[in-house]
Amino acid sequence: MSQFLTKRILQMLVALLGVSIVVFALIHLVPGDPVRVALGTRFDQDLYDMLRERSGLDRPFIEQYFAWLGNALTGDLGLSFRNSQPVTSLVLERLPATITLAFAALFVAIVVALPAGIISAVRSGKPLDYAVSAASQVGISMPDFWAGVMYILLFALTLRWLPSSGYVSFLESPIEWLRHLVLPAITIGLISGSVITRFVRSAVLEALNQDYVRTARAKGLSEWRIIRRHVLPNAWIPIVTVVGLQLGFLMGGLVVVEVIFAWPGLGRLALTAVKDRDFTLLQGAVLYIAFMFLTINLIVDLIYVRLDPRVRVS
Amino acid sequence: MTVAPSTPMERLPEKPVSRSREIWQTLIANRLAVAGLVVLALLVLMAVLAEVIAPFGINDIDIPNRLTGPSMSHWFGTDDLGRDVLSRVIIASRVSLQVGFIAVGFALAFGVPIGLVAGYYRGKTDSILMRLMDILFSFPAILLAIAILAVLGPGIRNAMVAIGLVYTPIFARITRGSVIVVSEEVYIRAARSLGARDGRIIFRHILPNVLAPIIVQTTLSLAFAILSEAALSFLGLGVQPPNPAWGRMLAEGRNFFQQAPWMGIFPGVAILVTVMSFNFVGDGLRDALDPKQKSVIESRGQSV
Amino acid sequence: MSDPILSVRDLRVRFGTKRGVAEVVNGISYDLHAGETLSIVGESGSGKSVSVLALMRLLAEPPAAIAGSVLLHGRDLLKASHRDMRSVRGKDLAMIFQDPMTSLNPVRTVGYQLSESMSLHLGLTADSARRRAIELLDMVGIPSPDVRIDEYPHQLSGGMRQRVMIAMGLSCDPDVLIADEPTTALDVTTQAQITDLVAELQQRIGMAVIWITHDLGVVAGIADRVIVMYGGRFMEEAGVNDLYAAPNHPYTDGLLGSLPMPGADRPEKLVTIPGLPPDPVAMPPGCPFAPRCVHSDASRCHIEVPVFEPDRARHLVACHYPLQVTA
Repeated sequence: MSQFLTKRILQMLVALLGVSIVVFALIHLVPGDPVRVALGTRFDQDLYDMLRERSGLDRPFIEQYFAWLGNALTGDLGLSFRNSQPVTSLVLERLPATITLAFAALFVAIVVALPAGIISAVRSGKPLDYAVSAASQVGISMPDFWAGVMYILLFALTLRWLPSSGYVSFLESPIEWLRHLVLPAITIGLISGSVITRFVRSAVLEALNQDYVRTARAKGLSEWRIIRRHVLPNAWIPIVTVVGLQLGFLMGGLVVVEVIFAWPGLGRLALTAVKDRDFTLLQGAVLYIAFMFLTINLIVDLIYVRLDPRVRVS
Repeated sequence: MTVAPSTPMERLPEKPVSRSREIWQTLIANRLAVAGLVVLALLVLMAVLAEVIAPFGINDIDIPNRLTGPSMSHWFGTDDLGRDVLSRVIIASRVSLQVGFIAVGFALAFGVPIGLVAGYYRGKTDSILMRLMDILFSFPAILLAIAILAVLGPGIRNAMVAIGLVYTPIFARITRGSVIVVSEEVYIRAARSLGARDGRIIFRHILPNVLAPIIVQTTLSLAFAILSEAALSFLGLGVQPPNPAWGRMLAEGRNFFQQAPWMGIFPGVAILVTVMSFNFVGDGLRDALDPKQKSVIESRGQSV
Repeated sequence: MSDPILSVRDLRVRFGTKRGVAEVVNGISYDLHAGETLSIVGESGSGKSVSVLALMRLLAEPPAAIAGSVLLHGRDLLKASHRDMRSVRGKDLAMIFQDPMTSLNPVRTVGYQLSESMSLHLGLTADSARRRAIELLDMVGIPSPDVRIDEYPHQLSGGMRQRVMIAMGLSCDPDVLIADEPTTALDVTTQAQITDLVAELQQRIGMAVIWITHDLGVVAGIADRVIVMYGGRFMEEAGVNDLYAAPNHPYTDGLLGSLPMPGADRPEKLVTIPGLPPDPVAMPPGCPFAPRCVHSDASRCHIEVPVFEPDRARHLVACHYPLQVTA
């Protein structure tokens, strides 16, 4: 177990190193002088000299990378090309909103997908199964931004049940916080949930067809008990894997959804950085999102180990 | 003592049916896959004949008739400049399909050879190539595409490259996995021991046997490449004005949403229908070609 | 003579398939008495496993359709409600399966899976179920049962897993233990150990056993009576020694001929039966074995199905032209 953990953490560190190289290299692939490109029409020689010196773009690539990595490890990701503020604080400021939305969306996805997938598998081939499959097929093919815009049109502009955009901190007003969270969370959550539903269905169906289910039936257990005690504990293993994979999608979806709902998160920050050609800020935002993604993958792997005695013991 | 070679119930049909015929029969027995194929055929036809079909020019501005709802003359209504939404949806189908095909073609062109080489030679080559692919996989896909576009600059051509790059690792992984399985087969080992050249073994013996999962993944990836393009265009990083793209039309329609919801609804429906058709065909192909492979599920899990 | 515990009459099982209706079990009848071991022998596809799954009502209906009657202590199981059936399974009728690896749940401990039916049918508390589970493991010959009880199936060997399955089957003192090819997935030495274990436990506990197998060699050591099944029908039923000494049915004769027997005065060359078993979707109208039988004739065998009524005192054969006159 601890050996597995060490191995996984090492793998994650290697992946993170790779990610950092890619993120760092990005800025060097910008045609021309990135600082000049970033400053564009607001060119100012003093600012230019300062940013160039700070970013160390004069030195050789390898040296720059290690200097940048060293700084990054101490939490210093440089200054924003745009407004000369420290990137780290700009990113950290946005982090809570993104994490909130990611977990809310995941919550919606799981709350929808588990019951739907299980029912669909247990009633496989029946009308209910077809209804769930049809709904999830639509969800899987749905563009997230379109879904978000439609929800705004329906629930915010027409029915006026919920605000159309913005973010209120939980400390300020828990109720408003929740009201603002609902639409962005279901926009991503329902789409992710559709994907997870299909996976839950196939995992449960697969487990239902195993010999040990027949053994459990031969013992005289009730169907419901068999599903709870024998089928689901086995189905969790593939389900957890796909939920982990979904998080990558979910975090990608954050960029779009944060834009639509004016949600002050990392995704929107990254997009603003792109539009402003603020490369240092983009590096910071991308690095943090990738770090979150890798951390979550690690957590998923650890849950996986808890669930499967074949990996846990031995 | 065990006499029967198999249970009678599993016996194959009497007449030998050719493999391609069998695949085709399985596919057309799947009603959803057929529906998807028909819709895709119509879409391609529409994209090819776009100028002929579209009732208006894409940039025929008609301010007096701006923001009018669906009617006999404008089935999908008009936008804020009085342009015909239907015509723009039709013309935009071309760019969506084009980006989808070229981006996935790019991913195939890089991913498949990487997977073939990694899976065939194994060892260090494999480790290095696959670690590189893993790094690309460590980013949420759309974010990686955005970052690439930030560097290359927005635009349709760069969007194709970005999406293609993001999808490359999926093809590399799928190809590698199948190659490893196939390489263990006796006939491959036999060919190797007879001293056949590697290139010949890879292209003559291995590639034909790993095509099935690649074909399925291609179809499913087309669906998600189109979704990705739409998202990038929506964010203003893909197709640039005044050219229409489904994602872009939605972004433009947002500001007029209450007065003219049709500006956003129809392009969205077009994306939904296109993506769903590819998914149906992909799922049908998977059932016909390679029942063991995972469906759409995993691909969207990793790729959008 | 006492009444049988289990009495199966004209049991039929059909499956709806894409190619048509598969007639897998076509009217079989037998009686099982207390303490008796009955072995049903047949090749794969003969319907032997399906017939016992049907009487346990473990087949999904549809696609399966079951007809006939299965009387357990005089009560027809085929007419029982699902709830009643659940109280019979594991309690009165227990079953063990072919592959102990896949038949045990990989994510549950041995103890969990053993205790389950005891707390359900016997109402035991967790503590007493655990104590009894350890006793059962000890009884089926698992060393250090107090350790093994907390292990997972993947930590046990194949033979031990099947012992666990047997312990599970015996946990609620069933009247009948149905063993569906319990030794097929095991290696030869382990096969013999498991067969001996069941024989020994039967002596001690006195339950009746239905032992399903495709291997006539396994049957010899354990069964009292043997039924030979083919194409969903019974071909021959006899006491185990009678059957080996004087097979009456050409099919049984063929089976014994294809069985290597060291020391026996059988011909050196193994006999194989030409042809394939009948397709259940297109059953021949007469005797199912007729198309492969060297003794068959067009006037009777291909038209009229030979049958027998259960009678456990006698050597029964379903054949128009039996090889020897029954004594």
